[in-house]
Amino acid sequence: MADVATAPNAQADARERTGRKRGPKLDAEQLIELFGIPLIVVVGFVAFAIWRNTATLDSVETNALPWNSIWIQLREHVVLTAVGAMITVVIAVPLGIALTRPGLKRAAPVVVGVANAGQAAPAIGLIVLLAIWFGFGFWTAIVALVLYAVLPVLRNTIVGLQAVDPTLVEAGRGIGMSNLMVLRRIELPLALPVIMSGVRTALVLLVGTAALATFINGGGLGGLLNTGITLFRFPVIVAAAVLIALLALLIEWLGQVLELVFRPKGI
Amino acid sequence: MSETTATSSGSVTGAEIRLENVTKQYAGQKVAAVGDLTLTIPAGEIAMFVGPSGCGKTTSLKMINRLIEPTSGTIMIGGEDSRKRSADELRRTIGYVIQGGSLFPHMTVAKNIALVPKLLGWDDDRIKKRTDELLDLVSLDPSRYRDRYPRELSGGQQQRVGVARGLAADPPVVLMDEPFGAVDPITRQRLQDELLAIQRELRKTIVCVTHDIDEAIKMGDRILILQEGAQVAQYDTPEVVLGSPANEFVEDFVGSGSALKQLSLARVDEVGTFPQTTAKIGESSAEVIQRAQAAGHRSVVVLDERNRPVGWPWLRQLKGEKIVQSEHAPDAIDRRATLNDALDVMLVNGHGGAVVTDAGGAYFGVVDFTSVTDQMRAMQEKAHEVSNG
Amino acid sequence: MWDFIVERRSQLLINGFNHVYLVFLAVVFATIIAVAIAILVTRLPKLEPVANAVSAIGLTIPSFALIGLLIPVSKIGDGTAIIAVTFYAVLPILRNAVVGLQGVSPTLLESAKGMGMSEFTSLYKVRIPMAWPVILAGIRVSTQMSMGIAAIAAYVLGPGLGTFIFTGLTGYGGANAFNNVFVATVAIIVLALILDLLLIILGRLTISKGIRVA
Repeated sequence: MADVATAPNAQADARERTGRKRGPKLDAEQLIELFGIPLIVVVGFVAFAIWRNTATLDSVETNALPWNSIWIQLREHVVLTAVGAMITVVIAVPLGIALTRPGLKRAAPVVVGVANAGQAAPAIGLIVLLAIWFGFGFWTAIVALVLYAVLPVLRNTIVGLQAVDPTLVEAGRGIGMSNLMVLRRIELPLALPVIMSGVRTALVLLVGTAALATFINGGGLGGLLNTGITLFRFPVIVAAAVLIALLALLIEWLGQVLELVFRPKGI
Repeated sequence: MSETTATSSGSVTGAEIRLENVTKQYAGQKVAAVGDLTLTIPAGEIAMFVGPSGCGKTTSLKMINRLIEPTSGTIMIGGEDSRKRSADELRRTIGYVIQGGSLFPHMTVAKNIALVPKLLGWDDDRIKKRTDELLDLVSLDPSRYRDRYPRELSGGQQQRVGVARGLAADPPVVLMDEPFGAVDPITRQRLQDELLAIQRELRKTIVCVTHDIDEAIKMGDRILILQEGAQVAQYDTPEVVLGSPANEFVEDFVGSGSALKQLSLARVDEVGTFPQTTAKIGESSAEVIQRAQAAGHRSVVVLDERNRPVGWPWLRQLKGEKIVQSEHAPDAIDRRATLNDALDVMLVNGHGGAVVTDAGGAYFGVVDFTSVTDQMRAMQEKAHEVSNG
Repeated sequence: MWDFIVERRSQLLINGFNHVYLVFLAVVFATIIAVAIAILVTRLPKLEPVANAVSAIGLTIPSFALIGLLIPVSKIGDGTAIIAVTFYAVLPILRNAVVGLQGVSPTLLESAKGMGMSEFTSLYKVRIPMAWPVILAGIRVSTQMSMGIAAIAAYVLGPGLGTFIFTGLTGYGGANAFNNVFVATVAIIVLALILDLLLIILGRLTISKGIRVA
């Protein structure tokens, strides 16, 4: 969704500011998220499971919420997110690298500008438009997801690489590293924290937008929610919404863990 | 400087650098950044490039390792055209030291130093040995600093590691770009002394860019003073540059008070040092006091197990039963330090003298204020005679 | 497509207006709520990480899911849409307002105090004007994303251009499906960019020249 696009990025910037000041230690906010989110997810899911198995539901509601179709949709949702994330990274990181090399450097602001404006497109409009174009289904949903998620990763790759101190690049060249070596051993490792925070933003975006994939038969937990809304059954609606939210939180948490794992030591 | 060569202990491992009609012309600029520069830097010497900003000194330096490719002209290193090899291969045989050290923040000290040896395909054992050797050389305890990240080092320590990285693969030529520009004056002076001590052993060919004429006078065997467009204003030993500046530009640049600048030419060991009573940590205080009083000394220099000065207490301060580590190590100066530096240190420590060290920071002796001022007076008289005669 | 636009121009105009109006209301509410919370945080700095974590976690929850959660509470219709959009709009503004208000240099606040300003005076004379550029940046982010969320909210009968998208979806394969979706999507993009431009102009008018970043 356009929603989370720029927002967590602004917040990543803010976080970076504090992060640098406090060095390698986690600040209170990161701790709250790191330990709070799994807690919310576990408690939320246990509560859902207990409710699902004990609540008295009418036949329509029971039919809408069978465990096996919940699992299937959950899996579809995760697959949408994961495949979307992989394709996004595979496209955005090399593109970002290319746009910081001498030859294409000047194109970077243009590409980012266009991508930025593209973010103003409503996710739902984009998904439906693509479906009219390519037909309904999983891969159309993936195309829409990737279109959405590429921007934060692309932008952070460019920003991260541009932020690498040019004297370090020159130092690398000066001691005899080739351009490729400098990229691999100096620029990319130093830009990695920024790139990973873009990946995390992308993950959040993907998991949220994947909830809309159901409108074009792309699968995912949105289907459950849609069923609930169509049948106008509050228990189904709430159950589906809670599951989607829990999954999104879990993915956000995963993104945060990835960000920490990939942070090079010494920075 | 001839003295440097005379007192040097190591044999020359450097290579001669020759710049022949080297020009750098940037597209779209009328004046060449470097215009027709011809220059020979003898093997084993330190050449200091100085000049106002924008004079082309850094450009000239970077053309030697081809970070900037000359528009025309030839650069010969050790008699070989620098274009004979690929730029990357060439740079692996030329040390490069930059302001602040420019250490890679995501690599440990050891990894930073090991970069070039790795590029050259050294095996791990040899690299590890070399890394420790270099850390020792730049006075950093390998076991303590090897696995630290640059962030965990002080500015001076980072710069030391930067020097170690530059020397890692034992290159005949080392290029330095404002190497000590980012540290405080006291640290800078100490780093300069250390580098001079290292150079006494290694005798590399060092080309160093600086904007600080005092640094140039202190460090350089030769000083290259550049005007805009890298036009050579003067290229000679510090004595000649100070004593008979080639033109008004050099005179202005070197600045007034060049008699005082002569202080940067005289070295501490030329003035003479004398021994002070020393004590090891853990020795009985009473014995040490007795020894010092017998020698007529009012203070003692405390040394650690590697003979490095770690304290300089007055006798009345030795209250405990045993000699203990002092709170502050004295600001020691290398025996090749200039009188200028010696005065700086003396003025702050209240002893009216300074502890002098030798290679590796080992205790050498003490120099006192009177001998330095005597030397100054002698030099001033000499300068007076020159200007009158 | 031109015929389509001409034919439905009144409908498009009404829905476009409603869309923008919904976003406008939500962002105004959100700004008031967010700045109020941020001011509270300046009084209780311990809450800063909590506020930041809440805005980070809140932004994680997919809007479609939140709309689902709100249906039983506020029923279907405009109310749900406005609550959902406001909820999201608060988060980026909150984050920026906290950062902005906390980021005002303590020496400035000290000197304001020294001049005899009360806590309240220094809040609206010093803190808020200094933090305003950062807060406004948050408002811009909020506005952009609210335009998209409002489109999804149309699914539960919220007002706005989103209805055209869902009409197109239901009429998939029909003659006007593409027109419906395309015109609405482009209209949302254009309106979002216009709003952003207006906010930039607002910034030019309201940010003190002394702290404007070139």
